Amino acid sequence: MAETDTIGIIDEIHSFISDRLQVISYKWLSRNFLVSSNAAKRLLEEFVEKHGGGLAVIYSLSGWLKSNPTTYHIRLVPSHMLSDAKEEFDGKCSVQVYSIQACLPKDPATLWNHEFVQAEDLFKQPSTLDNCLRDNRFCGVSNSFVKRTVGGTPLGSGSLQVKSTRVSGLSSSSIPQATADPRSIQKNFQNAGSNPGAQPLNTEKPVKTEGNVKPDPAQVAEKEKVPRPLLNNKKGQNNKNSSGSGGSLASMWGRASAKPKPDACLAQAEKARQGSFVSAKAQICARESAEHEISDDDDDDKAFTARRTSNGEGSRKRRAVFNYSDEEDEYDNAISLGSPDPPKKSALCSKESLNTSASECNISFEEKENKPKIKEVKEDDVKAKPMVKEEKESDVKAKPKVQKEKESELKVNYQHLRANIATVSNDKKAESPTSEKTQCHVTEKDASRKNTMANDVPKRRKVVKTRIDEKGREVTEVVWEGEEQDTKSNNNNSAKIADSCTASNAINRPPAVRKSPAVGNAAPANQAGKAGNKKAATKDPKQGNLFSFFNKA
Amino acid sequence: MEVDSENGLLQRKQATYQSLDETFLIAKETYKGQQYSQIYFARLHLMRTMLYSLLPTWKPHLPSCTVLGLEQGKECIIVGTLYKHMKLKPSVLDEYSKERSASPLVQPRNFLHSDDYLVLEDESGRVKLRGALLLPSVYVTGTVVALHGKETGAGDFELEDVLEAGLPHQIDRPLNSGEDKFVVFVSGLSVGSTSANPLHFQLFVDHITGHLGGEKEQGMAAQIVQVVIAGNSVEIGRGLLNGQNLGSRDQSKLSEPIKELDILMSQIAAGIPVDIMPGEADPANFALPQQPLHRCLFPGSAAFNTFRSCTNPHSFELDDVRFLGTSGQNIDDLAKYSDATCKLEFLERTLRWRHIAPTAPNTLGCYPFTDRDPFFIEMCPRVYFVGNQEKLDTSVIKGSDGQVVRLVCIPKFAETGTAVMLNLRNLECHALTFGSQFDS
Repeated sequence: MAETDTIGIIDEIHSFISDRLQVISYKWLSRNFLVSSNAAKRLLEEFVEKHGGGLAVIYSLSGWLKSNPTTYHIRLVPSHMLSDAKEEFDGKCSVQVYSIQACLPKDPATLWNHEFVQAEDLFKQPSTLDNCLRDNRFCGVSNSFVKRTVGGTPLGSGSLQVKSTRVSGLSSSSIPQATADPRSIQKNFQNAGSNPGAQPLNTEKPVKTEGNVKPDPAQVAEKEKVPRPLLNNKKGQNNKNSSGSGGSLASMWGRASAKPKPDACLAQAEKARQGSFVSAKAQICARESAEHEISDDDDDDKAFTARRTSNGEGSRKRRAVFNYSDEEDEYDNAISLGSPDPPKKSALCSKESLNTSASECNISFEEKENKPKIKEVKEDDVKAKPMVKEEKESDVKAKPKVQKEKESELKVNYQHLRANIATVSNDKKAESPTSEKTQCHVTEKDASRKNTMANDVPKRRKVVKTRIDEKGREVTEVVWEGEEQDTKSNNNNSAKIADSCTASNAINRPPAVRKSPAVGNAAPANQAGKAGNKKAATKDPKQGNLFSFFNKA
Repeated sequence: MEVDSENGLLQRKQATYQSLDETFLIAKETYKGQQYSQIYFARLHLMRTMLYSLLPTWKPHLPSCTVLGLEQGKECIIVGTLYKHMKLKPSVLDEYSKERSASPLVQPRNFLHSDDYLVLEDESGRVKLRGALLLPSVYVTGTVVALHGKETGAGDFELEDVLEAGLPHQIDRPLNSGEDKFVVFVSGLSVGSTSANPLHFQLFVDHITGHLGGEKEQGMAAQIVQVVIAGNSVEIGRGLLNGQNLGSRDQSKLSEPIKELDILMSQIAAGIPVDIMPGEADPANFALPQQPLHRCLFPGSAAFNTFRSCTNPHSFELDDVRFLGTSGQNIDDLAKYSDATCKLEFLERTLRWRHIAPTAPNTLGCYPFTDRDPFFIEMCPRVYFVGNQEKLDTSVIKGSDGQVVRLVCIPKFAETGTAVMLNLRNLECHALTFGSQFDS
């Protein structure tokens, strides 16, 4: 491995530990930086030698026990107990650095947590990929007889392809390759980030983008260093792709994501227009599909997420525009938002740090406690609608401002919105039986909402609540609930989400709400894709029940 | 650095695997009012044929007869199924009985009582057994034996000798040949349980897949050719399974442990062949033989050709070494209804009785087979393992025909942090334990 690379990683370790107080285990390191486990252990050892002071180091000891010679024991001990623990082993036991962290965890399970979150992320990547979790490529023992068979492409949708392209950088060496010549595996590891030839077949775009990066060791090292400023290990993979090949890649993505949009949006607008004349049901369908298309686009944008955020530009709030079934004209307007010329749009998008998972949740307004990224900005939802009405054209440009604007207007709008909902929801009952499902949410926080709205946004989470009001009408509204969480994810907002939310009106929401009760805590990447697909399937609100069934599994 | 890590990459050893689970698979599972009598009939029929074939070598001079054909004072051999009358055996009818029963309190350990007695039964009738040879505390309902004795005036059968079926035939295979290859047994992972330390399982996974440790450790890991997970891999909160519909939030509680297991297991499957058997606490059917956990529970692991979801009991051959094992229900049930000094004794008894689960269907849930008794042991395994026991226990028993069987009690991993390594070459066993201790 290149010397520069090692140094780069060691620098990174330093920042991980001191800035993030993160537990760095050798396996996490190996998966994060795409080095083999053994190399990662050496790195840690090197790091401990150089900068060991003030760090808590946990060693793994393995060997035969003195007390019970038929027991092979593996134990984790902190450095201050190392010598004592060695005594218990018979003869020479092997000692390796297991992990380093700023301070010793009280609960040993903490050590496991970081790794597991990472493993879960890798696990959630589309099954067509071979990532380092699936081919076990970083271990010291290779088994050429292991094969993975994925029956077709389970997800099979466009969003899947997009997704897989994004992570493909991580996963270029597949098992068969690795096994064909075990000697070359190590090499593959290092080239993994930039080996275009080995990418899954369904990745069209990335092959091109990856082509920018030559699988030449020096550059690999370079590349591996670049993405270090990860905001978050989860996004490491995305980062690698987007930042690895720099701006050209970004524009690439921009084009890619922008292209489908005009058509999609036009189609949506078209549909919506028709919808205004046809039955309510048709509208629902139109919107569902519109929403679906847009959410697919959102997937495209996800590639930007990491870079954008790391650029520090992610200060904008997400907005969601609601549309209700009696406002078809608005809907058209809102949709036309999406249509303006692609370049502008993509530029805009790239500025915003869009976290897809967050966007997904935004669309679904669901109480997903497991997803840390969910908080969104409330004001926009309320505000955006009027805005959309008035500033059709300028809206795109105005968006950045939107959320900073007049909080005072909010209340007015809110009232307006409420009125709408109230009237709408009566009709809605008849239209969409499934919307009743959402009624289980109670709106205790309803009252507090207006107050909290204007306040510090990042601490809240949006939740759809439906209740029956005093007059027996059904009121569905979006309320802020709970507080937690990092500001970072709050910044993940986008114009597109606004669009998609426009599409997701009150009727669209119920299926979304039912969508996924709580899937894992930490894989925004896949979450989004999955949700997108699900939505695609949920054409008819009634089918929502089916999906809640699948979620059980 | 690059060079030596390339050279350090070890090749995992391989072993030929053959699954022998087909007897435990239920092809057309139906519950249309079958009675359990047919299992007993099939069992008696099988075992009697086998025992009759042993009689000429055991007591050639004695005639054999049925229970109905017994004559007072005449020595003979009868073959039948044992029934143990147990005072303390729990019955669902107890709670409906009007009269206060004066039955003594149940012992904390099992349902044995000094008044228990054995009855032998065949198609023709049943007879109460007397004599110190056949200890009621050792035998259980469902065992088939041949008895030598005579009927007394009281209508009892006075025992003089007992013949058990003994260890079945074993295919000869020279031990101590070939190279060291290891099979790892683990059970009671209880993923999702609050008491289990997930770090230990992760360490286990890392060790066997060759991540952990130095070259020496990875060299050991490379010798592992098979992992067997013997039941109780997940633990799902009892409160969730009350037969009511679950809220969406609780549904995730239900699926999370299985997902976590899938993630960890796919890491194993990416390196080593792994067999997973269902256990008592797993989301599988209750009655033995438990059918394989459905592959869709493990979307990640199931993609690997190394992942096999197996039945419980589970039988397979690895490099011509025959394995047979369960997730522990049969032995746990024996422990409730009979007595032994250690769990290994139960294992040995089931082998000598040639029946994995004699207490099924009496006190152990069992599918009502109509045509066969799948728990009959036709061929003697080399390794007989039982999962979910309190502690690791292992021994070797030898049969009269030169059979050699390694018995293994696999401890619960979540409680003990212990897995079992078995060397295929010489059937030696050793423990693989994991620990973590951060404060002195």
